[in-house]
Amino acid sequence: MIPRIESGIPEFDELTLSESGMGGIPENSSTLIYGPPKTGKSIFSYQFTYQGLSNDEPCLYITTDQGLNQLKNNMFDFQMPIEKYIEDKTLFIIDTTSNISEGMQTKTETIVSSDINNPTDIMVKVGSGVKYICKKYPRFRSVLDSSTTLLAYNDTMLILRVLKAYLMRVNGVGGTPIITYTENSADIMIETMLKSMVDNIIKLDGKTVIVEAMKGIGKRSAKYKIKDHGIIL
Amino acid sequence: MIKTIESGIPGFDELTVSEITKGGIPEKSSTLIYGPPKTGKSIFCNQFTYHGLLNLEPCLYVTTDHGFKQVQNNMMEFQWFIQNYIQNQSLYIIDGISQLSGKKIEDTNNIKSSFVRNSSDMMVKIGIGTRFVYKKSNHFRSTLDSLNTLFAFNPQQMVIRVLNAYLRRITEAGGTSIVAYTEGIINPNTENMLKSLFDNTIKLDGQNIQIKSHFEEEEELINYKSTYKITNKGIVVKKE
Amino acid sequence: MKKSHIPKLDDFIGGGIPEGSSILFCAVPGVECEAFGYQILNGIIEDGHKGFIFTNVSEPNDIIYEFNQYGWNLEKYLEEEKAFFVDGSSNFIGLPPTGKYSINELSQIEGIVLKAIDDVSNGVGVINNLSTLIDYLEEDKIIEILDKWNKRAKANNTILVYIFTKWGYEQKLINTIKNSVDSIVSLTSIEERVIIGQGFMVTSASWTKPQNNMVLFFVLQPGGVKIYIPKILVTGPYNAGKSSFVKSISKRSVSVERMALEKFPTTIAMDIGHVDHNGFVADIFGTPGQERFDLMLDVLSKEAVGAFIIVDSSAPQTFARAKEMINKTHAKAIPKIIVANKQDMLGALSPEQIREAMKLDKNIPIIPTTITENIGVEKALDALLKLLYGDTK
Repeated sequence: MIPRIESGIPEFDELTLSESGMGGIPENSSTLIYGPPKTGKSIFSYQFTYQGLSNDEPCLYITTDQGLNQLKNNMFDFQMPIEKYIEDKTLFIIDTTSNISEGMQTKTETIVSSDINNPTDIMVKVGSGVKYICKKYPRFRSVLDSSTTLLAYNDTMLILRVLKAYLMRVNGVGGTPIITYTENSADIMIETMLKSMVDNIIKLDGKTVIVEAMKGIGKRSAKYKIKDHGIIL
Repeated sequence: MIKTIESGIPGFDELTVSEITKGGIPEKSSTLIYGPPKTGKSIFCNQFTYHGLLNLEPCLYVTTDHGFKQVQNNMMEFQWFIQNYIQNQSLYIIDGISQLSGKKIEDTNNIKSSFVRNSSDMMVKIGIGTRFVYKKSNHFRSTLDSLNTLFAFNPQQMVIRVLNAYLRRITEAGGTSIVAYTEGIINPNTENMLKSLFDNTIKLDGQNIQIKSHFEEEEELINYKSTYKITNKGIVVKKE
Repeated sequence: MKKSHIPKLDDFIGGGIPEGSSILFCAVPGVECEAFGYQILNGIIEDGHKGFIFTNVSEPNDIIYEFNQYGWNLEKYLEEEKAFFVDGSSNFIGLPPTGKYSINELSQIEGIVLKAIDDVSNGVGVINNLSTLIDYLEEDKIIEILDKWNKRAKANNTILVYIFTKWGYEQKLINTIKNSVDSIVSLTSIEERVIIGQGFMVTSASWTKPQNNMVLFFVLQPGGVKIYIPKILVTGPYNAGKSSFVKSISKRSVSVERMALEKFPTTIAMDIGHVDHNGFVADIFGTPGQERFDLMLDVLSKEAVGAFIIVDSSAPQTFARAKEMINKTHAKAIPKIIVANKQDMLGALSPEQIREAMKLDKNIPIIPTTITENIGVEKALDALLKLLYGDTK
């Protein structure tokens, strides 16, 4: 039997019910969320993150598309205030954009900056983030939103290796990582390789959420909409 | 009759019965399992491995996608418990990826750590591992799951060279090997060349299973087709 | 001249490696080769010189760990700045580089290694791994780079040690690479279905005419590269001529053998000898032929790398016993020669008749001999050596 954790979208957990009567994301497995641009991949990540934080599961969040402030605002817009979790240090953020765009304003033990052009540095920060979290918590979540930007700014094969290392690191100490990716933004070979690296694949195409692969269950799908509180199925 | 071993996959051996074999996977042959991501290739590999262990056929298992702990967990989901076989040393594991997670695993008699980027070291351990399982029984299996990570960490021609050396090593020792690969992650020419290195290929596309076998005695490829499902007992092939 | 710190190697190459020379360890896939480079580096640094390791296959931390396993303290040398890394690996998998130098792009390798060579004049540099480099760079480019490195090393009195795995490359490329270094040490395997032994042999050295003996080795942790005298088994039914065979191939006896003898009851007639044939050395163990000693066969045959099966060609009724002994000594799993003795006897079967009668695989050589006349003995010895070492000689 595979333990599941709540995705943050109750209908999604229902959709993914397995024979054992549990639904959600299989704990300690890795998940790819992909689809065309603007279909709610980031929102899925927010909900996943916020659900964990509300359940006392810390989260290591690597943001490469939006700076910390923007992330805070965006999540707030969906009624997911994260200020509290930044303060109590259950949310560990690696921000790879603010350096360039706005200059890091807040920098603490759990809010660190990195550089989108420097995957090595990102990995170093991931290493220390994972270490920081897993010292206190046996289980945690992790989000990388998104791999698209990383792939665009760097050698794609290098990024694949880095993503593999990221998944190994998080999985290795009990974490449950998800990665977002914009469909067709990289070469088809890279895309296939990315899919082969994860355990679960979820596609959001704007109308339908398709669970293309998930440990313990077969293919499932359902219509979805993006509302004030995020994605609903 | 060509000698075969049981695949361990319900329905598979029945499907592959023919005039020249009683079904199953030809003994001492090499098989490539390929197909799109998440179609059950690893499950097939694990099922094949576990069934061999049950039949007292030791196995050399090279894992590059998951650390061996993860493999053990993955297998447990299907009620395939390998701890005993690790303890009685009928399973020899080469873990080519755990190093990447930053954790050092201590080598034991039959669990060796290596790294996908260090092909020479991988090959040294494969050599020692082959000898280890061969000494236990000359009816042994060998599983490599998968080529994907090798391709992610090395130039394509390097992986082909290593694969050649690996297959030669297993064939020489009389083992039956299966190798998993996700279709479409290398250029088509190399992919064709890759397929040609194997005696048999099995394609899993999520629904259909297609088996092609090449026997020295026969001029033409033998083809089998059916559908399959992934159940909580692993892959089950539909009997035609 | 610097000691290589690899046992026996210095004897074969005239005492050591001259400063400024390049030496290539060329290994069959599956044979341990990294240890050679690391052992040389460790030894030369211990002797008071400097050294560096260029790596494109493992991260520096893993190499430090590896050294620890061998019982060598690389960390200390790094701290004392007697050793450093050229890290050509970490950046390629997104890990922070840790060496004195690190490589971001393949185009930097040439120049950075040149700098490293300058930094360790009169010392040693280890390039691990040359074959991986070939797969990343163009083949022509590799030859060009090797020449530049070797020239610079010569000018700086730096010894360069290349680790090379002979994957399925074109022979032409391998030849060109071999031609661009001063010395080549081949690392090969002894195989019978699986690798049962590893050996090294000096194939060339520009500064001397090397002795091209094959030496068997294993790699110990801790300890590093150790050589060992291979054990050759002589077995066969009672009265087939085992004792005479052992005597006729042995040149001398050594004290080790006497010690070994004491472990067994003196009532058992055991033949132990030592062969030294064209530079190939081995200990020879003759097993008793009588069935009441069969329990000993298992003990005696442990770790043997090759076997002579002596049969009396004129006594086909003993062939079944000979086959049984092949099984009991595990000789099935090691290279072996059938010595068809007593060819001078009336009614002796020919090798092919023996093959037929014993149902032997066609790959197993059967050598007709008359041991008492010393006919065919040398041929049998050569045949086994060829099986063990292939055509590397």
